[in-house]
Amino acid sequence: MTRTPADPRLELLQGTLDMLILRTLRWGPQHGHGIGQAIRRQSEELLRVETGSLYPALHRLVKRGWLKSEWGVSEANQRAKFYRLTPSGRAQLIREQDRWSQLVSAIGRIMNPAPANEE
Amino acid sequence: MRPDDRDLEDEIRTALELSIRERIERGEDPQSARRAALEEFGSLQSTRDAMHRVWYSRWSEGMMSFFQEMRVGLRSLLRARGLALTVIVTLALGIGANAAIFSVVRSVLLAPLVNRDADRLLYIRQTAPGIGTKNFLFSMPEIRDMKSRATTVSAFGDFSTVDFTLIGFGGEPRVVTAGVVNGSFFEVMGLRPALGRLIDAGDDGPKAAPVAVLTHRYWTTVLHSDPTVVGKVIRLGPGNATVVGVLEPSVPYPAETQVIANVVTSPHHLGATMQEERWHRMTELFGRLAPGATLEGARAELKAVHASMVHAHPESYSPGARVGLEVKTLRDQLASPARTILLLLLAAAAVVFVIACSNVANLILARSVRRESELAVRAALGASRGALRRTLLAESLVLCVAGAALGLVLARPLVAVAARYAARFSVRALEARVDGSVLWLGAGLAMVAAVLLAYVPRLPSFERSNAMNPAVGGVRITPGTNRRLKIFATTQIACSFLLLVGAGMLVATLNAMSTANTGYDMRQVLAVDVPPPAGGAGGEATDRFFQEATRRIGELPGVEGVASGMVVPWRDADWTVLKVQFGFEGYRPANGEDNPACKFRPVSPRFFAVLGVPLAAGRDFTDRDGPDAESVAIVSQSVAQRLFPNGEAVNRHLWFDARSGLEQKPRRIVGVVADADDENVVQVPTMTVYLPWRQLGEPSRLFVRAAGDPYALVPAVTRTLHDISADQAVERPATLEDVRTQVLTPQRLNAFVFSAFGGIALLIAVVGVAGVLAFSVGARTREFGIRLAVGCEPRQLKARVLREGAVIAAAGILVGGLGGIALAWVASRLFGVAQMPGALPIAGAAALLAAAAILASLLPAVRASRVDVIQALRSE
Repeated sequence: MTRTPADPRLELLQGTLDMLILRTLRWGPQHGHGIGQAIRRQSEELLRVETGSLYPALHRLVKRGWLKSEWGVSEANQRAKFYRLTPSGRAQLIREQDRWSQLVSAIGRIMNPAPANEE
Repeated sequence: MRPDDRDLEDEIRTALELSIRERIERGEDPQSARRAALEEFGSLQSTRDAMHRVWYSRWSEGMMSFFQEMRVGLRSLLRARGLALTVIVTLALGIGANAAIFSVVRSVLLAPLVNRDADRLLYIRQTAPGIGTKNFLFSMPEIRDMKSRATTVSAFGDFSTVDFTLIGFGGEPRVVTAGVVNGSFFEVMGLRPALGRLIDAGDDGPKAAPVAVLTHRYWTTVLHSDPTVVGKVIRLGPGNATVVGVLEPSVPYPAETQVIANVVTSPHHLGATMQEERWHRMTELFGRLAPGATLEGARAELKAVHASMVHAHPESYSPGARVGLEVKTLRDQLASPARTILLLLLAAAAVVFVIACSNVANLILARSVRRESELAVRAALGASRGALRRTLLAESLVLCVAGAALGLVLARPLVAVAARYAARFSVRALEARVDGSVLWLGAGLAMVAAVLLAYVPRLPSFERSNAMNPAVGGVRITPGTNRRLKIFATTQIACSFLLLVGAGMLVATLNAMSTANTGYDMRQVLAVDVPPPAGGAGGEATDRFFQEATRRIGELPGVEGVASGMVVPWRDADWTVLKVQFGFEGYRPANGEDNPACKFRPVSPRFFAVLGVPLAAGRDFTDRDGPDAESVAIVSQSVAQRLFPNGEAVNRHLWFDARSGLEQKPRRIVGVVADADDENVVQVPTMTVYLPWRQLGEPSRLFVRAAGDPYALVPAVTRTLHDISADQAVERPATLEDVRTQVLTPQRLNAFVFSAFGGIALLIAVVGVAGVLAFSVGARTREFGIRLAVGCEPRQLKARVLREGAVIAAAGILVGGLGGIALAWVASRLFGVAQMPGALPIAGAAALLAAAAILASLLPAVRASRVDVIQALRSE
């Protein structure tokens, strides 16, 4: 999809999609579309996950054992494939969260050095 | 669980529907909702592919499609069932034969022995090449000499065999072969007990309690693995012995025995002759390398010790005998006699595999030519060369795997047969089993065959546009394909020729052996082993027993004569090689020569009449030639002619040479009999000296000449002998003819196995030649049609095809012959022996193959001559 420079939406950082999916599923099972919508809503429309990357990512996580999938019925009484966090997925989420906060603070230190060092 | 493609598609579709529904609920109208959702989702196809790639790597993708190909291949082969079956059976024969022979080769030549540290276990052997004796054995004084001086060998074990009558496990008294060993024997051999204990240092010497160990085979087969056997007291020969244990399963070398006992059980072993006489050699010797010593070091030292021993006792070692010493590991000793024959068999099996493969290659090639148009269509539709090869590989893999599977099923019974066969050469063959490594071999061979076969057919050329002409339904054969077909057929004929000549050689040898004149009357003479009575009577008692037995059996109806001796021809192999030097009155050996060595045989009166050996001069022994009468002898014609060329042998005297250790008193020659060779099945001139056993020796074999069927006399003879002595064992009654048959078993088996290989090869080759010609005729229908149309006689066409078959056969035989000469050269380089086959086997094999090839081309030839002209011309 092409985007105009004025488009306010952000590119997802490499490798963060998996973490966002795991995080979204922390509160219970959800189907693929629901996960996409949740990320969009919670990021206040700034992050928009493309279908072409969301679904392969879901399958990648299933293959690694962090998610489990099964067919179910949505609130609107429609058939859909639901994803659920496995215990090892939960552990992985904690690991990724830690790594992410370290990364954020490290990048933050470089980009916004402490005022004392300026001058 | 991997989701399949349908599941992936389903997931995207439901997600799309969810999205559409959401938009509608938000108030969009259905159509724009749908459009927006589709735009948001982008390419459904590429999403699905991306999901698919998560699960299926490129490699497994390839495997999937390969399995697909295999399924297709299987289906297309099911349509050509005849061809598939031929290929599978052919391959199965090739792979099965290889697997079986390989199992035996591995167990004999490659597998480790159960003996602890088998690499340090030595087999020491005295040889006397000068008198043709490979195993001269050792005497106790010799062993004592070796023991006292060797430093590279930490311990020696000695082993000799004695036949004992065994009583005590129920049933009749049985004669068993017992090994008599010293206390360190089992320690040296590195063997463990399966039950109880083995004979050890405490059992050595003349004062120990008599004990016996059972061999595993005897314990399992005869005693049905009875666990209570340890502690039992049995009667073993003259005395009692306690069974102390059962030996673990191990290679029965140097002799297959039922029990192994300590020295004290055998009065003979304790006697002065055994202990003191240097010439009394009956013992085998083993040793264990001392720590730090090497095989080469031990060999050098033992040879030096042996040489100085020979030097110190010149009276016991005649220079002409060239007594020497061999030292090798037991492992090498066990493998060496079987190595040549096994390698030969392995080569034969490999040749059968080559024949099978080239035959299968032919069939596949013929089939693929028929399929050329199919392949061309596939190529035109965009299949790459690789894809086409993969199709072919998948098909040949299906065939080869099926062939290998069937071959391995065949391998099990084949291994059993081959093991029993090879056991004649090496006892280790009995350990042969079908196991994992054979499976690998089968799989390997199948892979080799499959890859070869997949590369045999020519792929449709991508440049040549007319190859892709599906309208042409028939087969087009190119000269290249035809040449390849013929090369394969020629290879088969050549290989079959080699095998057939080999088989022919062996059959010719066997035939010569089993029809050769032996000097004996073979059919009517029953030989029975009547070993010394359990009481160990000897002397007077034995004398009386045999006198009585001869008289009473002689009175039985249907008996024409009874005699006794010590040697059943061919069967008593250890006796037949024994030669003793004699001095002859009036014969002076040439300078530097020794007194002549002759066989010597104690026999009873009428021995020659009963066995059908004609008397040439003088008289037979009589009952009057007793221990107190004049000492007499009878010599064979070879002795008479060689030593007394003027025919004056009778009434001369002979005596045992001083070196023999036997009494040197002169014995008068009273008769001359025809040569009779009891050692070689094909008679060679034999110098033999016969003595009456009442003057020297102790009989243990009875010969009964029957008027009718000799075997009908067995019950009466046995009963009579038991009447005289209830404990007397009566063993192995057989006519001399059957004894010879039994002795010839290895030759018979050799001939049989190679003939079987040859037969298989011939069969495959015939199928191959017939297949090639049938195919070539089928492909040239049009050519034949034209020929017939322009006035060619059907007869000429027939001759033409037959000629093609004959040319293939001739070329094959020529190549095979050249290959054979090359092979013989290699064999003579490797083994030092090359027996060139006689003219008969060569001519026979060639004739057989030529006939088979012409027969195989007959059917295609007839078909060629019956081509319907109109049909043939219209077919294209």
